[in-house]
Amino acid sequence: MKIVSFALNGKKVSCEVQDRELLLHALRERFSIKSVKEGCGIGECGTCTVLIDNEPHYSCLTLASKVDGHDVKTVEYLGDAGLLHPLQKAFIEAGAVQCGYCTPGMLLSAYSLLMKNENPSDSEIREAISGNLCRCTGYIQIVEAIRDAAGLCKCKP
Amino acid sequence: MYIGNEMNRIDALDKVLGRPVYAEDLSAKGALFGCIFRSTRPHAFIRRIDTRAAMASPGIVKVLSCHDIPGENLFGIIKKDQPYLAQDRVRCIGEPVLIVLGETEEAARKALQLIEVEYEDAEVVSDPFLSEDSTALIHDKGNLLSRRKVIKGDIEKGFKEADVIVEHTYSTSWLDHAFMETESGVGYPDSKGRIVVISSTQNIHYKQKEISRLLAVPEEKIKVVQATTGGGFGGKLDVTVEGFIALSVHHTRRPVVMRFTREESFLSNTKRHPLYIEYKTGARKDGIITAVKVGITGDTGPFASYGETVCLRAALHATGPYEVPNVHVDSRMFYTNNPVSGAMRGFGIPQLAFAHESQMDEVALMLKMDPFDIRMMNALKKGSLTATSQVLQNSVGIIETLRKVEPYWRKRSKKEDRAGFGLGCMYYGIGNTGVSNPANACLNITGDGKIALHTGACEIGQGSDTTLVQILQETLGLKIEDIVLVRGDTDTSKDAGSSSASRQTYISGGAVFDAALKMRQYLDEKGFYKGRPIREIYASEADKKLLEHNGFFDPPTTPVDPETSKGSPYATYAFATHMTEVEVEPETGCCTVKRVYAAHDVGRAINLKNVRGQIYGGIAMGVGFALMEEFVPGKSESFDNYYMPTSMDMPDVEVFVVEDREPTGPFGAKGVGEPALIPQAASIVNAIKDATGVRPFELPCHIERLKMLLEKAKG
Ligand code: FES
Ligand code: FES
Repeated sequence: MKIVSFALNGKKVSCEVQDRELLLHALRERFSIKSVKEGCGIGECGTCTVLIDNEPHYSCLTLASKVDGHDVKTVEYLGDAGLLHPLQKAFIEAGAVQCGYCTPGMLLSAYSLLMKNENPSDSEIREAISGNLCRCTGYIQIVEAIRDAAGLCKCKP
Repeated sequence: MYIGNEMNRIDALDKVLGRPVYAEDLSAKGALFGCIFRSTRPHAFIRRIDTRAAMASPGIVKVLSCHDIPGENLFGIIKKDQPYLAQDRVRCIGEPVLIVLGETEEAARKALQLIEVEYEDAEVVSDPFLSEDSTALIHDKGNLLSRRKVIKGDIEKGFKEADVIVEHTYSTSWLDHAFMETESGVGYPDSKGRIVVISSTQNIHYKQKEISRLLAVPEEKIKVVQATTGGGFGGKLDVTVEGFIALSVHHTRRPVVMRFTREESFLSNTKRHPLYIEYKTGARKDGIITAVKVGITGDTGPFASYGETVCLRAALHATGPYEVPNVHVDSRMFYTNNPVSGAMRGFGIPQLAFAHESQMDEVALMLKMDPFDIRMMNALKKGSLTATSQVLQNSVGIIETLRKVEPYWRKRSKKEDRAGFGLGCMYYGIGNTGVSNPANACLNITGDGKIALHTGACEIGQGSDTTLVQILQETLGLKIEDIVLVRGDTDTSKDAGSSSASRQTYISGGAVFDAALKMRQYLDEKGFYKGRPIREIYASEADKKLLEHNGFFDPPTTPVDPETSKGSPYATYAFATHMTEVEVEPETGCCTVKRVYAAHDVGRAINLKNVRGQIYGGIAMGVGFALMEEFVPGKSESFDNYYMPTSMDMPDVEVFVVEDREPTGPFGAKGVGEPALIPQAASIVNAIKDATGVRPFELPCHIERLKMLLEKAKG
């Protein structure tokens, strides 16, 4: 067991984790953040994506103990019902959501892209979400949504 | 006003906030975790099972076997031939043998390793062609699951009239649904003494019935609820975790959670049927098709699942969307000891479209005709007779979909040698085949002045919730705030049938429309449309039963003749044309899909955004089917060795919606879920041929396969 302290969605948190505990499971079980999904558990699908220091990471491959002292963001950080992030709004408007299982991870990969690149090309967008599988949408409306949001948002840390 | 628009999905807000509760997100206090011990043999008798070490392992509460089943051990959508837990033999790798229930997932999974089973291997049937004559019987009545024929006209005469004959064999592989959310669910005993199962599913009422048979309890004692479902595509139609959960709750009276890992999902979920298709087409010099003869051989694995459906649907759609006067189709589905195949988006028709569209191009080539013109010339139209001699009366939009694509086809030009263009057309019967497959819907007025819609239709990501609400809004002229949707719970809804066969918009939509017409009349009589608030109507109605209106729709079909398949198996058909541009690197065999023009006759688009979403998603699956996806038993275990399209593999897509209204559909709507996928692989294959001169006859035509074909062609 080990104590880790980190920023989770902007709030300082700390908790005790097992040595081999995955960040995915720590977030789901210890912090009840269920938007982080386990689509494969082997780093191939992206449904477990979180941002660590604003970079997308597969939380199924990340040990919880490794985020000590870092900044972790999940989709809850982006917005809430009253104040949606432009990306969230654009996902709704563009029809980028079907079953929704990939959506939190997609949004986070997109958010990280827009932080670095306010005006990405379509191929840069595709590249940025290429680690996030979606079986429903064929990605097109997701790319549209990210493009639409790009002009509108300041994805600053 | 409320349909034909771009309304946002009603579930999208929750989904972008990460709030929906999928089955795996549910937990119940004191829940046990259940996992499955599975067969490692394709065909073997079970001689001994030793669970002592597992039972002694810390945190293990129970191990259940087939002997713990109080009711029927067999389930299946049509033929009930699949055991929940193997009886005395296993018939495929991955077949469930035992349920292990632990206090935690870790404990349960650890105990799995401690179970010992002694098998005596039996003869394995791994080839459907050898299955029929094999002495190894997978089921007592023999290894042929189903045989269906389609006979129309005089096939010999048809080939005699032909000036050219094209004959080829096509084959396809197993595919996984690869929904992003694996199978999962939770169950618990409720205060009324019932067993409740909440799961990721496409059909709650069917599962309620199967569980009641499994446990030998009346249906009222079982409640099934659909959790938010992370994709289905046919793979959550069969009973997955639900039976195991119910049985475990029955024995422990404790809440039970189950969730398949991705590896388990790959191992145990049904697959797309591999089909071997022998196809012979005859045509006159002027391009008119005179005869089509098709032999289909399918491999359903050891259990029927949807094998009969695929056998029949593949046969009925074998000619494609063309009027063919002389048809002979012989479709057979065999049991083997391979993976269980079941329902997957299109029920065998994407495989057949690959064949019939390749044939169209080959016939055109022999006749030196444009592939577009030959399709146009033979396409079904109003008054045409289908292969089952059904007269198409209405909503026959195939020619219109061809016209949408025509300008792009005519102007196509290869910027590079390696580019190629291909067409793919399809038609698809909406709903189940030649049988009654109704949906119910119920509306009632609530005390707070709203209209509640109760439906058993399962939203699996395709957007049925939004579509049904829009149909209701349009009929009643109500704003979204005035509507409450109560969905996916056997307690609150009557059967709406499965979310499959592209049927929910048409059939559940029809049921909602029916209920809404009755509600509209009631509201009208009560003065609602003259400004009287619903709340007041509610309050003034003495007999609260009058506040409820039931809707029902069962598409008018006739059964098909068992010998010839003559009949009207579907009330309506969807039609589509895809045109695809590819680029093939001659050195490597790498095929990139650049652009797709997709035209679909959906009858009426209730929600354009959803229709486009279905088409894009279908195209993605079609790209996977054509170029990447192949489930290889024993090798494909997860996403690291099963490749499916990412954002980088998607072409640009232009969608054209054709609305040839279907008179029996709600506001003219048909369906689009499966049609979106069906012609895509076919159009890619034709584009590859155009680019390289080489025609793939086996799917997927992945990079190694294509490279080999190109090398062989070079000599
Ligand atoms: S669950 Fe982490 S990448 Fe799939
Ligand atoms: S919306 Fe279903 S996986 Fe992306």
